[in-house]
Amino acid sequence: MSSVPGTDKKTKLLVYTIEECPACGQKTKRAFAVGDYVTKDGAKCTKCSSQTRVSLVYAESSKPSR
Amino acid sequence: MFILYSDVLQVPFDTSSLISLFWIGFIMITFFYQTRLQSYLALNDISRGLNKLTVMKDKARKEAIDYLVNVGKAANDPTQRVDQFLDYVTIMPVDIDPAGLVGKIDHVVTTNNDRVRQEVGALLNQNNPVTVSISENLLEVATSLNQIHKIVRHFYLLGKKTNSYFTLIQLQMLMPMIIQEADALLNAVDSFKMGQPVGDGVGPVVVSRFMAGKEKRVVAKDTVMAITEYKGRKLYVLKADGPMAYVGQPGVAIKKIIEEMGAKPSAIIMIDAALKLEGEKTGEIAEGVGAAIGGIGVEKFQIEEAATKARVPLYAILVKQSILEAITVMRKEIAEAADKVTQVLNRVIEEKTKEGDEVLVAGIGNTLGVAQ
Repeated sequence: MSSVPGTDKKTKLLVYTIEECPACGQKTKRAFAVGDYVTKDGAKCTKCSSQTRVSLVYAESSKPSR
Repeated sequence: MFILYSDVLQVPFDTSSLISLFWIGFIMITFFYQTRLQSYLALNDISRGLNKLTVMKDKARKEAIDYLVNVGKAANDPTQRVDQFLDYVTIMPVDIDPAGLVGKIDHVVTTNNDRVRQEVGALLNQNNPVTVSISENLLEVATSLNQIHKIVRHFYLLGKKTNSYFTLIQLQMLMPMIIQEADALLNAVDSFKMGQPVGDGVGPVVVSRFMAGKEKRVVAKDTVMAITEYKGRKLYVLKADGPMAYVGQPGVAIKKIIEEMGAKPSAIIMIDAALKLEGEKTGEIAEGVGAAIGGIGVEKFQIEEAATKARVPLYAILVKQSILEAITVMRKEIAEAADKVTQVLNRVIEEKTKEGDEVLVAGIGNTLGVAQ
């Protein structure tokens, strides 16, 4: 998983990709993979089997690893 | 009580007299040598900061070279070319006669941007636009850090040479801010290498939602536009061409849409990232009027000119973030703000325009990792 130092350097940021189904609105969160970008086609929706799209790529902080 | 006798003066010396003498000596030394002492401390402080900057600029340079070799598959060793690149200067036009200055700045900056892309393209053994744009950004980061290091070193050595107390103290006071900015630039390298959207890309993220599935056309260099519809309004939506690390030419694009494509917008709405003040929360949304765009001022001038000429009101929607958050991978708070910005945008369109009107919506910012 892609990770970068956080603002205070004590936390690490983990980067996630959000895939959203345009048909049923279901959102799936997974680890970011190189090549992901917003509007890219994602996997099939697990709920309605429609084609999902990457709607967001963002980072959130995690506890520092010892 | 213990009493000392001076052999020469034959007068008694007690401990309290010694302490008084020490204090008098200390006060005299600090009175006459205070600035020298502080200069010495400032020099040490700046020296530590300068060492940090040296490490940062070397790391950014190395990362750029590694990216060109490993991802860009540079045919030859690009080290020498990169080193030349780091010292390349852009000479701004003379401003003693300000008439037509923006046009001149635009010309110089455009020439520089074209040159950078051409040279990076020549270095790489492939023409993937995403790789080329990331390489450009990495070289820009390395150039900026190199420039910061050089300027700080210049004033450090100048202050040391001339023993200038005020030069050193000013530099010492600025050092924390300089290091903070340099640190932000260095952190940006990781996001750029991975092709991850940055905080500055929040405007393009919002606009990309309006462009999805619509026919896109190039309206200016690295800038795309689509026509869509929202509650009876015709929307002209534009952003830089993603997922490349471009900022595009929104000024040229807006001017072209209004003046050449014959659009008659009732409002221009610009969405951009804005630097937050200390104490403000990341992802806070602010609304306002005026051209929401940073940079050297050329694009802002072009947008203001086109809007004033056509008498179109300019509205701004801003997402607050720090400099570090703006140029590194998009934080969750900023990404979540994109949903709220979409709601604000819809409300502004509904409030400021009526059915049948045309509206121009521009997502401003670096569009790395954000296609359309």
